[in-house]
Amino acid sequence: MQVFKLFMKVLKKNIFTSMIYIIVFIAISIPMAKSASTEKTFKDTSLKIVVFDEDGTDASRALAGFIGKKHKLKTLENDKDTIMQALYFQSVDYVLTINEGYGEKLLSDDTSALFSTYHMHDSYATVMVSQLLDTYVSAVRAYSAGGAELTDACEMASDAVLQQAEVTIARSKGSENFSESTAAHFRYLSYILVSVIINALCPVLLKLNKKEFRFRTNCSCIKPTSYTVQLFTGSAVFIGALWLALMVVSVVQNGGMFSGIAWYAVLNTFIYTIICTAISLLICSFDPSDNVVNLLTQIIGLGSSFLCGVFIPQSMLGSGVLAAAKFLPAYWYVKVVEMLSGAEVFDGSKLAVYLLIEAGFAAALLMMSLVVNRIRYTSAAIKLPTLRKEAQQ
Amino acid sequence: MENTVVKIENLVKRYGELVALDHFSLEIKEGEIFGLLGPNGSGKTTTINCLLSLLSFDKGNIEIFGKKMTPVSYDIKKDIGIIMQNVVVSDELTVRENIDYFCGLYIKDKDERRKCVDDAIKFVGLEDFVKFYPKKLSGGLLRRLNIACGIAHKPKLIILDEPTVAVDPQSRNRILEGIQELNRNGATIIYTSHYMEEVEQICTRIAIMDKGRKIAEGTKDELKRMIKNTETITIEALGLEDGVVAEMRSLPHVYEVRYDGKLLIILCSGGKHNLIRALDVLQKRELGFGRVYTELPTLNEVFLEITGKALRDKEE
Ligand SMILES: Nc1ncnc2c1ncn2[C@@H]1O[C@H](COP(=O)(O)OP(=O)(O)O)[C@@H](O)[C@H]1O
Ligand SMILES: [Mg+2]
Repeated sequence: MQVFKLFMKVLKKNIFTSMIYIIVFIAISIPMAKSASTEKTFKDTSLKIVVFDEDGTDASRALAGFIGKKHKLKTLENDKDTIMQALYFQSVDYVLTINEGYGEKLLSDDTSALFSTYHMHDSYATVMVSQLLDTYVSAVRAYSAGGAELTDACEMASDAVLQQAEVTIARSKGSENFSESTAAHFRYLSYILVSVIINALCPVLLKLNKKEFRFRTNCSCIKPTSYTVQLFTGSAVFIGALWLALMVVSVVQNGGMFSGIAWYAVLNTFIYTIICTAISLLICSFDPSDNVVNLLTQIIGLGSSFLCGVFIPQSMLGSGVLAAAKFLPAYWYVKVVEMLSGAEVFDGSKLAVYLLIEAGFAAALLMMSLVVNRIRYTSAAIKLPTLRKEAQQ
Repeated sequence: MENTVVKIENLVKRYGELVALDHFSLEIKEGEIFGLLGPNGSGKTTTINCLLSLLSFDKGNIEIFGKKMTPVSYDIKKDIGIIMQNVVVSDELTVRENIDYFCGLYIKDKDERRKCVDDAIKFVGLEDFVKFYPKKLSGGLLRRLNIACGIAHKPKLIILDEPTVAVDPQSRNRILEGIQELNRNGATIIYTSHYMEEVEQICTRIAIMDKGRKIAEGTKDELKRMIKNTETITIEALGLEDGVVAEMRSLPHVYEVRYDGKLLIILCSGGKHNLIRALDVLQKRELGFGRVYTELPTLNEVFLEITGKALRDKEE
């Protein structure tokens, strides 16, 4: 218990800057809860879609009419810059051009290049509209293959697909349990977790694992394993308490207890908390100075947050950035949050994969810190003090 | 009084190529204040670390309290107090909390521990500083805190590795007196230092080491008897002729004379009245001289004679 108590005392003295992170976080996150409720449902059921009809046949008009039944049709100048700007500021969600020859192609077997589209890639809107168009086109072709006139086929398809679309949206209804502001809260939470844990845990572990301190302790009646176990317990208690506290903040932000898919977000933060702990352990195994720890907190906290879409939605990041971000755990954390918020279609097995990838990161980081520790203890631990001595002279 | 507390036999410790301890042997009896004297880098700390099983060694055998010392010899460790060369305290704990932490590594019982901590605070005289954090303490007070942390659990064997480095003279004296008091209260002491004056002042037996080897061992008188030098006479005299210096050299018991134009240094080996004979030579020729003094050999001379170099550099 002696070492555990020491751990807590040292932690208490080192937690000040971390408290600032948490206070700022609460100050930003809680007020956001108020504006939460209205936006989401609207966005789910109705998207803002621009249709440019370059075909101009009955079939294409029927399609535009079909889309208009389900979503809000918007008009826009058919100009690439204008379109991009509108998409960026989310004044429209999807821009569809019905290519010339659409009507004819529907009757023939050729379904290539029916449409050209502009959209934010991978957004929930994209997937939903593309799916809708696909089903619609197959339905029209199925009905006309069954002998119906093209106009009738279009009408029948429209009715059938609209019913089905209802179902699609009903299925992703879970995201009502997870508003856009909750999503923002959880994204920001990852930045808080990584910063606070590295900032608070590293100095404590470094101090209590300093060679001289361990030597001095090894002279006493405390077994080295007991020492390590007590440090581990201390870390676990701290991490657990931090996580619980942040979850309480999240419940407040959420405006009530979590329900439905929101529990996945809780699981997600839990796994991410373990990842952050593993990162801290890895950092500590290199025995860096306090300044280096501060620097690493900034680099890892801010860097991975910007790369992985914590501050900016992933849909707005370049594909190059996203490709690189895949090698960072924060990317997968954010991906889970995005899926829960409906920016990506909800898919349980995909979600499980994301969570497993995160768990994999945690395991890999822990392994790495073990290996580094082992190497340093057996070889460098003997050489390092002399190197330092030489450096002083 | 004759129980052997520490026995080191043929200890060899290498750091890669460097042989830090070269067949080093030592025997320390109960009740001694044993001094381990040697210049920086001679292997004192390495000896202590091997003794405590903090370092593995290549060869040799170590026994403490008659039992073989291993990293898991907790029954031995509980009776050892260690004051390391570098101050090891936690900056986040107050003076009292620090002592309590280290004492708690040995003594679980709370009431017993409180008493031990109180005693230790009193012993090093830190009563007025119990609520201070180490960062606020001067070098001397910090050293005393380090000592309090090491002795609070009332160990039978106390090892102090250069406890007076970077300490003001007042704290230093207090520390040295404290060590003697601990010894009077029954503890066996191992004291390492590169300050020969300290070792001479408090140690009952001394081993001198250099480059990982023990080069001499005994009480300070025994050590001094090992060497030729028994007296060093220094006379301030300006512009002496070569003839005078030569005559000094031919005096009985004188084995070396050095002269740099200002200071005449005469090294004698045995005999009495060496100073009178030297001054006679000057008086006979009616030569004037300034200050005169004679010194008995110090451990520095012992070290100098055995190794051919001074124990420590002038600037230290
Ligand atoms: N961890 C180490 N790795 C390599 N060499 C070391 C290490 N520690 C001490 N040494 C070397 O061993 C020798 C003895 O050092 P040390 O026992 O610290 O001497 P002392 O305590 O007498 O000043 C020195 O030459 C020192 O440079
Ligand atoms: Mg030393």
